[in-house]
Amino acid sequence: MIGRLIVGIAFYLHASARYRHIKKFFYNLLENPAYPYKKFFDYTMIMLIVISVYILIRHVKYDVSQEWLFFNNYVISLIFLAEYLVRLWVYSDNSKAIIDQYEHDLFLQRPFKVTTVVRHIIVTKSGFILSPAAIIDLLAIMPFFHEMRLLRVFILFRVFKLFRYAKSLTQFVSILASKKFEILTLGVFASVIIAVSSVLIYVMEANNPASPINTLFDAVYWSVVTIFTVGYGDFVPVTTEGRTVAMVIIVAGIAVISFATSIVVSAFTEKLDEIKEDKLIDDVSKIDQFYLICGYGPLAHQVAHRFQINDKKVVILESNKEKVIEAQKEGFLALAYDPASLHSYHALRIDFESQVIAAILLEESDVLNIYTALTIREIAKQVPLLSILLHHENRRKLALAGINEIVYTQELIGLMSKEVSGRPVAFEVIHALRSENSGVFIEEVVLDALMAERFFESAKLPLFHKRLILLGVYKQTGKSFFFNPSNTLAVEAGDVAIVVGTRSLIDEFKALMRKKRKR
Amino acid sequence: MSYKSAIVFGFNEYAKQIAFQIAPEYGSFVVFVLSEAEQHAAQEAGFEAELFDLSEDWNVIQERFDTESLIVFCALENDAENVFLTISLRSIFEDLPIIALAGDHESAAKMKSAGANKVMPILQITANVITEILEKPTVTEVLHDILYEQSSLKIAQIAVPEDSFLVGKHIQDIDWGEEYGVLVLAIVDHQLAATFSFTSRGHNHHIDPEDILVVVGYEDNIAALSEAMGVNK
Repeated sequence: MIGRLIVGIAFYLHASARYRHIKKFFYNLLENPAYPYKKFFDYTMIMLIVISVYILIRHVKYDVSQEWLFFNNYVISLIFLAEYLVRLWVYSDNSKAIIDQYEHDLFLQRPFKVTTVVRHIIVTKSGFILSPAAIIDLLAIMPFFHEMRLLRVFILFRVFKLFRYAKSLTQFVSILASKKFEILTLGVFASVIIAVSSVLIYVMEANNPASPINTLFDAVYWSVVTIFTVGYGDFVPVTTEGRTVAMVIIVAGIAVISFATSIVVSAFTEKLDEIKEDKLIDDVSKIDQFYLICGYGPLAHQVAHRFQINDKKVVILESNKEKVIEAQKEGFLALAYDPASLHSYHALRIDFESQVIAAILLEESDVLNIYTALTIREIAKQVPLLSILLHHENRRKLALAGINEIVYTQELIGLMSKEVSGRPVAFEVIHALRSENSGVFIEEVVLDALMAERFFESAKLPLFHKRLILLGVYKQTGKSFFFNPSNTLAVEAGDVAIVVGTRSLIDEFKALMRKKRKR
Repeated sequence: MSYKSAIVFGFNEYAKQIAFQIAPEYGSFVVFVLSEAEQHAAQEAGFEAELFDLSEDWNVIQERFDTESLIVFCALENDAENVFLTISLRSIFEDLPIIALAGDHESAAKMKSAGANKVMPILQITANVITEILEKPTVTEVLHDILYEQSSLKIAQIAVPEDSFLVGKHIQDIDWGEEYGVLVLAIVDHQLAATFSFTSRGHNHHIDPEDILVVVGYEDNIAALSEAMGVNK
């Protein structure tokens, strides 16, 4: 009976989209570093911890108002308790475990036993309960029972909770964790030395009335202070035998310290690349809008450089590490990831829909570019793709791979050669406009409703007339270009005006069209 | 400005495209290549192809062409060879218009000092086009139509004749768009030889004979303007 009820509830929860949605939300908030709102949650928790510790310190010598104590003991503790329970909840999926067990039993024609599944759930959840982080969480809730004076110290566990919310602290722990074996060896070595020396010094000194070391605890305390090269000097051996032990320990102490230092340093050096890369990935996910360049070479360098001049962000993906280093030296944001692998985009957490303006494929072979294009198309159907074409017989294949714009340099050069031999001056003029080095620019101005309304009126102002060349208007309806338009042309929002002029004049023109009319 | 014959050096992908584009424009057109394989390929594509090597003294050009109306395109694969070719041509033909391809800015500068009249740095041009397509798609489309397509909108350069009514006027005295239906992008001042200035820079340029106007407009309007300016057809 209870079994059927439990299975019924499990099926209901498993099928409920709302339940899954809520659980997913809390999972993201607590555990998913890529979730944008997680940081707000983390900051809130950090703030609570700081408040809590401040109250603890203040309370040592001064009075703290009852409201604050209440806040500290109950409100914060309850928030932490709630967090603990939610973490426990999202750690694993009980309904799925129950259903799996139920279906398993059904298949094997065995009766469904509640105890089995409860045991299974407890085993799974204890994975969370027994994890160091969860233990700290639990201890941090303890000050709730503040009536027990000793438990006040547990507030300090709240400080340890910081590890959960501050990424750099987590990183530090994970770096040290990579040297588990070395740290363990060092620990065993130090413990053995401390144990042996404590016993020795106790045996040598404890019975000597002139010696301050009287108990075994004194002996251990002296050993620890000496071996870690602190040497307060509050306890000193007075017998010759005791001092001999001291000399040996001091030498051993230097070994322990240098060993410890070298472990930490080598752990960091080994992980340095990883940390740097993590930082780069973080940087990429923070960029709002960027161009993604796949493949780095001389052309990619030029393209990235052009975008940089125009204040556009560029991210370069290149599988060859040496080329990546080269790109980074040039000051570009380059990552050693294969642009043709789906894994790269998942690892980098690139969101094509919202972040990538366009992907530019500049690998040095058509084959690679097509492969990369298909990879990107698999994740992002809409993102504009531009590729260079190296052999014209592959043009159709590139188009089939979903590439929107294909640049075939050879053909372009052919066309330009014709231009340059026929109309050299005209060619120079257009080339100067395009290269944007001459101070005069050709720009497209996308018109909104207000700008469209005031377009001709503004263009006729003495400031612009005859100085700002209004080459024409590209009308979105009909997709046609109207050269040198007269004011009889109906300009609408969304149309694009093409103007030639100096940067300041174009900016002024845009600003003036947008400015509200003075009344 | 009108040349009767043209030579393209090399027959790689770039040279091939250049050949396809310009061959119809010239009375005589020859491809000069370094290897027999290239010669074969060029002939197969329907071009007259001759072999040459870099130590040539270029008698063959002097014999076959009127160097006064000849234009050459140096499009060898290797930048170093291309520079060498340019410099050896320049050493013999002082006034020959040479247009050279260069891999990047660095070779472009060398090409210039070797005596090429116009250098096309391939990398920069490609990079410019890529960024322009993405940043200014409409500009790209419109310019492409004006420059390369068979639309009636054209860009043209018109030299101002000696006795034209324009001589003595200032460029901003005339409302070009209203009166002639064309836009003047730039003017080449004959006195300041071969440098052009954009009209939108705002200098009110004094028009002299032999200045060149770079105009954009419909074919008919450009023709009408040329006629009004007194350019002989």
